Amino acid sequence: MKMELFQQKQTVKLILDAGELLLSAGAEINRVEDTIKRMTKAYGFMKTDVFCITSNIIVTVQTKENEIFTQTRRVAERTVNMCMIENVNALSRSLETSLISLSELEKIIMGISEKRKTGFAKTILAYLLIAGALSVFFGGSFRDGFAAMICSMVLYAAGKMGESLKIQPMVRLLLSTIVMCMSAFFMVSIGIGQSTHAIIIGNIMLLIPGVYLVSALRDMIAGDIMSGLLGICDALLRSASIAMGCALVIMWMGGAA
Amino acid sequence: MNESLIRVLMASLGSLGFALLCHVEGKKLLAATFGGALNCGFYLLMIRAYDSAVLACFFTALLISTLAEVMARVWKTPVITLLVPMLVSLIPGGNLYYSMLYLMQNNMEKFRVYSEQLVWQAGAIAFGILLVTSLTQTILKLLKYQKKKQ
Repeated sequence: MKMELFQQKQTVKLILDAGELLLSAGAEINRVEDTIKRMTKAYGFMKTDVFCITSNIIVTVQTKENEIFTQTRRVAERTVNMCMIENVNALSRSLETSLISLSELEKIIMGISEKRKTGFAKTILAYLLIAGALSVFFGGSFRDGFAAMICSMVLYAAGKMGESLKIQPMVRLLLSTIVMCMSAFFMVSIGIGQSTHAIIIGNIMLLIPGVYLVSALRDMIAGDIMSGLLGICDALLRSASIAMGCALVIMWMGGAA
Repeated sequence: MNESLIRVLMASLGSLGFALLCHVEGKKLLAATFGGALNCGFYLLMIRAYDSAVLACFFTALLISTLAEVMARVWKTPVITLLVPMLVSLIPGGNLYYSMLYLMQNNMEKFRVYSEQLVWQAGAIAFGILLVTSLTQTILKLLKYQKKKQ
């Protein structure tokens, strides 16, 4: 009997792992809640109450033996990984038709979460594409596009360095914006780029929290007002620290007449 | 015309980049690229027709979110996977930057113009997305209701 309860707790733990993966990959709140509900239902729990905000998941389940327990999970940082959302979503839907054993479930979840690390070349390519293409899009010349590509590499390196030093996300954003703007001014002063504005805008587009904003809006429509507000607040703070970083460098370089 | 072509091309490349950054995979990458081109092309058309960036943003957001909602249902994938990469060139990043720049330069007249544009355009995009999302949910609920009745 005791073993049974232990197993059930392990099940909820694994389901929370899946929920954490979803939340940290930037999924909408009601998707996280729905997925957890679907999975607990598949594993035979009578009643499930899930409350999820952008940084925390709380699950209370009621077993068939009328045992009730709660688990919470803190999710520290959110990134964007659509592939992971899709994989967890597919997993939860496949559970509805055929149930798998706990060890198998654990293996699959581990497999999905390990995928997070890969894709270095892809990220580099994405940075180059976005910075280059969008700085031309916002009125730069092709030379500006090239300079923006170099700056985006500086930006990437700065971001990675901040990450490995475990600097707070907001501060990291501010610092990497400052480094990026300085390299944009440098590119123009050595004659590779022509317009600092175009180069900086192309790189700002890399940092702008578009995904957060859109998913926050969708959260609000789905009824998760609190998460929506948190998301919008986060996006605004991020934009503010980007603007502040640019402003500091421009002031320093004498761009402010 | 040539300039518009370059803009459309660059927007689609930017969308592709954003899709890569968000770890989108497979055929959805291609969809994001074409969606980005469509986004920018439609925006340029609208701005020629209505002569207002705000209206153009609104209509483009309507079109692109409808496209994203439909495609996401067809491919059984989260809507934001497609929506955000496609919409990326619509984000008023330029306005954000220039309003900050003119504020720094104490050029209040230009700051007012750009920041007003920023707020209106961001609002128009958000309104477009919200409208389509809530309409789709209503339509889906209606379809479910119809199925239950039969």
